[in-house]
Amino acid sequence: MAMAVFRREGRRLLPSIAARPIAAIRSPLASDQEEGLLGVRSISTQVVRNRMKSVKNIQKITKAMKMVAASKLRAVQGRAENSRGLWQPFTALLGDNPSIDVKKSVVVTLSSDKGLCGGINSTVVKVSRALYKLNAGPEKEVKFVIVGEKAKAIMFRDSKNDISLTVTELNKNPLNYAQVSVLADDILKNVEFDALRIVYNKFHSVVAFLPTVATVLSPEIIEKESEVGGKLGELDSYEIEGGETKGEILQNLAEFQFSCVMFNAVLENACSEMGARMSAMDSSSRNAGEMLDRLTLTYNRTRQASITTELIEIISGASALEAAK
Amino acid sequence: MASSAAVPFWRTAGMTYITYSNICANLVRNCLKEPFKAEALSREKVHFSISKWAGGKPEKPILRSDTPGV
Repeated sequence: MAMAVFRREGRRLLPSIAARPIAAIRSPLASDQEEGLLGVRSISTQVVRNRMKSVKNIQKITKAMKMVAASKLRAVQGRAENSRGLWQPFTALLGDNPSIDVKKSVVVTLSSDKGLCGGINSTVVKVSRALYKLNAGPEKEVKFVIVGEKAKAIMFRDSKNDISLTVTELNKNPLNYAQVSVLADDILKNVEFDALRIVYNKFHSVVAFLPTVATVLSPEIIEKESEVGGKLGELDSYEIEGGETKGEILQNLAEFQFSCVMFNAVLENACSEMGARMSAMDSSSRNAGEMLDRLTLTYNRTRQASITTELIEIISGASALEAAK
Repeated sequence: MASSAAVPFWRTAGMTYITYSNICANLVRNCLKEPFKAEALSREKVHFSISKWAGGKPEKPILRSDTPGV
């Protein structure tokens, strides 16, 4: 991430400058290295100037990335907010049962393909792992379906035996319902589940994204739960038109619900990714600016020190000549 | 009317409701007139790459795309 790059740059910088300890050092490691290097050492101003040029370029790039993320966010935000209306009727009809206890859960983790977007991917992975712990046990199994390169890389490290599908390159074309529904179809056909838990970052505002879990139940579980009562028990009071049975309608509804919830989740995750990238790039540009200020001070100090050294040499040479006369 | 074992023809053919509704939507989009038709069809483009995993190892990824090789 950009922050780590700057911290590394800072550490590399200090041994070579060494003229005086710079105030406000960020990492304690750097100050240890510095103790041995106190003392006057004149360093070429060329090195400092090169560093300043590269930091300025980095600052320009991160500013540009922030603008790009901001414009993409504007485009997706409207669609995400409108797509919330797709799953609201389902929740009104079937209720939301995040705490349902089922034998086979499948956790669908949504993440981004590209990096430099702050901590959103790691929060999603943390929530997925927590869900795994919650739902695992004797006779129960949890499988992962991972969307996005970043979560794949993180989950591969310790949960690779539980991954059943991974999907990448979803964001290559602008997101649309057709794409997400084909994906949902693939997941339905390849993975057996009693309950699907979709983990994504819900977009609340440009600086606030909360990891959320949306639960979609399979039609058999809905049948079972409707016998128990509660919200699902009222399903029988609805009239069914056409020649279909309740079981068929539940199956259609469950598939469509999954597709709608996935669509909304993918859009919200994309919004959160853009927002997180905006704030990450913003703080990178600010850090680059601060680093540039410190480098400028060092540059001036170095320059003045070398001028002073020259003057001293000239004057002492001249006074030696005079004394010799 | 229909017996309780009757399923719609598309379900016996192996499609899910999602595929069925997408095909219907495609038919509706194809009914539009020209400038709107191109816009609507551009909203149907699919591109992603999916790979199944078995025992901790990914198998060869399948690219599902309207524009393969791009």
